[in-house]
Formats: sequence, C-alpha cells, structure tokens
Amino acid sequence: MKLRFLIYFIKHAFWNITNNRIVHVIGMGTMIISLLIFGSFLLLFVNLNTWVHGWGHNMSMSVYLEDDIDQSTRDKIAAVIRDFPSTEIERYISKETALKNLRHALGTGAGLLDDMSHNPLPASFEVVLNNMASPETEPKFIVKKLEKIHGVEEVQYSEDWLKRFEGIMNMFGLVGFVIGGLLCVGVVFIMTNTIKLTIYTRKHEIEIQKLVGATDWFIKMPFLLEGAIQGILSGVFSLLVLFSVYLFFAAKKVHLLGLTVLDFIFLPYEHIFLMLFISVGLGLAGSFIAVGRFIAADSFVEI
Amino acid sequence: MIQAFRLFRTFGPNVALNNLNFRVRKGEFVFITGPSGAGKTTLLRLIFGAEKPTSGHMLINGINLNRIRRLKLDLLRRDIGFVFQDFKLLPRKTVFENVALALEVTGERPGFIRKKTHQTLRLVGLAEKEKAFPLQISGGEQQRVAIARAIVRDPLILLADEPTGNLDPELTKDIMVLFRSIHMKGTTVIVATHSRELLEDTAQRTIVLNCGRIVEE
Repeated sequence: MKLRFLIYFIKHAFWNITNNRIVHVIGMGTMIISLLIFGSFLLLFVNLNTWVHGWGHNMSMSVYLEDDIDQSTRDKIAAVIRDFPSTEIERYISKETALKNLRHALGTGAGLLDDMSHNPLPASFEVVLNNMASPETEPKFIVKKLEKIHGVEEVQYSEDWLKRFEGIMNMFGLVGFVIGGLLCVGVVFIMTNTIKLTIYTRKHEIEIQKLVGATDWFIKMPFLLEGAIQGILSGVFSLLVLFSVYLFFAAKKVHLLGLTVLDFIFLPYEHIFLMLFISVGLGLAGSFIAVGRFIAADSFVEI
Repeated sequence: MIQAFRLFRTFGPNVALNNLNFRVRKGEFVFITGPSGAGKTTLLRLIFGAEKPTSGHMLINGINLNRIRRLKLDLLRRDIGFVFQDFKLLPRKTVFENVALALEVTGERPGFIRKKTHQTLRLVGLAEKEKAFPLQISGGEQQRVAIARAIVRDPLILLADEPTGNLDPELTKDIMVLFRSIHMKGTTVIVATHSRELLEDTAQRTIVLNCGRIVEE
C-alpha cells in the first residue's frame, strides 16, 4: 500500500471519528464497559490462579516411612528430600513422638492406646514446600518422586483441597469465557451499527467518490481503520481503568479468613496483548460487517 | 469509443430503453435529447456503468460493460467525467477540495494534485474562488466546479446530464462555451438535455429519444 494512501486513510478515519463524536463516544463507551467486564474476569482469574498455586506451593507435606528401615536409609530419604529446590525438612517425627503427639491430641481418651501391643504409627518427615514456580517444584511431581524411594510408605498433602479449588477455578474460567463470548457478539453488533451510522453521514461523499472512480477498498479502508482505532482506544482505556482498580487493591493488605495476606498482581503481558488484540479484532469485525453490507457495489451511486 | 447494440433496459413493466443501436466516435460532441422520461439519464447511467442493460451490449473503448469486473469498472470510470444537473458537490469541502477529490482517489502525489487542480480551476475561471465553499458561490459557479471535477483527470469521455437545467440563459451559454473548449482538446462529450434552446444554435450531432427509442438522429 502506498504511504500517501495510508496517510489519507488514517486522516479520514480520524476525521470520521471527530465528526461523529457522539456516535463514537457511545460506541466506545459500550465497548469499554464490555472490555472492562471481560478484563475484570481475566484479572480475577489470574489472581485467583496465582493464589491457589501459591497456597499449593506453600503447603506442608508428610512423608511417612516404613517401620523397618535403618538409619542409613532414613538419611538417604532425608537427602533426597533436601535435594529438591523447593523442599525443606521442618522436622523428623519418630514413631514414639508420633504416638506421644496422638496421646496429647486425644487428651483424656489417651487411655485407649494403652491396650495396644505395638506402636502402629509410622515415623515421618514434615516437609515444607517453598513458593517457587517451576515444574520441578510442583507438589505432584515431588510426591511421585518421593513415593518411588525405598523406605517411603506414603506421602500425604492436601491434594483434595487443591483439586476442589482447581475445579472452582475451571468453572470460573468457563463462566468468564461464556460471558466474554456473549459480550464480544454484543460489541461487534454495536460496532457494526456505529460504523453504519458513520457511513450514512458520509453517504453523499461516498457516492461522489464512487462517481469519480474510487475503488471499493479505497472507500472501505478509512471505515475499517476507524473500527480498529476505536477498538484500540477502547482497549487501552479499559486497561487503564483496570490498572487503576488493581493499584487500588494492591495498595491494601487483604486478609483471607484473618490469616493469609493476598498479593495482587496485574495482568501479565500476554493477557494485556490478548485484550488489545481482542479489542482491535472486535472493532475491525464490526466495521468489516458494516462496510461489507453498506458499501456494496453501486448501492451509493444515485445519478 | 462508445458502441451500443440492441440495448434494452426495463424497470418492471416500464421500458426505459428500447432496442438502442448507436455509435459515438472518439472526439465527437453529441447531444442526447428528448422529453422527460425519454430515457436520457438511463442511457448515461449505462454508458457510465452505474447499471447494466436488461439485454444488449454497451462497449466503451471495446470493453463490454456487461462482462467487466468491479475493480476494472472503477478504473474505467477514471476515464469518464460526469457532470450532474444538481452538481453533486460536497458542501463541507472547499471548491479546491471538491475538485482535488477526483485526483485523490487515484493516489496521485500531493504536489501533482495541487498543480493540476489550480490549472483546472483557472481553465473554468474559478481560480479566485478556490477557498470558497459551494454554498458561498452562485449556481453557475457551482456547475463550473462540477465540470472542473469531471475534467481534472483529462478524461476520454465527458458525460453531462442536464448540466444547464438549473441555470439561467446567460450562465447556460457560459457552460456550453466551456464544454466546447473541452471538446476542442479532444475529449468525447455527450450532453443529455431536454432544452430546445440549447440545440437551436448548434450544429452538433443530436440523438433524439422518445419512450426509450431513437426517433431521430
């Protein structure tokens, strides 16, 4: 495309926007609100995901040992645990300590344990998982590795709890996807009508352009650019609003159940680009439908 | 240059053009005349490619408009200037911008557009009014702007549909002088008019239409 054509198209796209301010402000407003709803879902999803994974990584893990292992096997197991970049042995609980703890926990009912012929509780290592994001620090990966070591009877961590949260997260993602999809359809519809109105206000000029030999693409391009510009402006504006909301929450210490401090994060770069891509795409799609329908052949030539 | 073979154009039960056969040579000046509803405007629309005949063929420079692709038709129109009775000027653009529009759509360089537009406005006697808006100038001047826009690209063919319909006799004379000077430069000119006065002083070829048929030539 010739540079002077591009300059002409951009100039006319901005000219269209400034000359039909009210229509574009309404169109952009609707698009911004829709993108904000979508972006809020995305932001909430990203944060929830981070929190859930963060909690998963910060969990403790109990590595139960077989009864008949010797000191050297136990040391080997301890060495393997220490070898993981994200694990740390908090303490070793011997069979005797485990029984003592149980007695303490049962309190007055501890007498029930007196009749036992032997101590049924296994010795264990209490392991703390640090918050480090890499495949090698995934609790599932560590559990699998540890369970394969000779002398380890069982490894327990709060997998069910994490799975439940992941289920909720998936449901949340699905709801966001459906709402986002519906909003996209609505935005395209509004964009189509916004561009359609602009086309009508320039009907006379389009007719004359056609009469003097303008190609269809020459007439369509400013409208397509208009949709794209409106899309990108709406995208940037909604991201700015989202960022302000993020700053507001990030400045506050949010506690969950009076215990955990939640750290807020903003959308990662790929999500920001996704939002901008979607907004430009929606603007283009709307204007593409509008110009396709309303600048067809000689529909404007009224000699 | 322009050839019509067995040209029919109907709108439902109404026959606008009925078996027209004619030829216009390069550099000719032709009047198409007849009463209102004779089919003059429809014929110009067919020459311009704004609509297709119901049957028959219209050839421009050997190109059959029935078979031409959309893009080629747009490009062909760059060789055809059209002047309308109602001028069809853009009220929010200046005289200069209205004329320059015909060059802008072809992607000409800004320097060339400026030079050619000034030159054409001088030719139609409107060099002084280039910054005025259409509503700030007279009807005759508006028609001259429309002519300037139609000829700024040096078209091979100039079509004019009732170009003096809204003008008084004095301005009509001026416009006809302008058409003749354009014709003298080698442009094929076709003027559709129902004005008898316009035809009285001329020795140009005249095609007379009535009810869509050529009744006299």
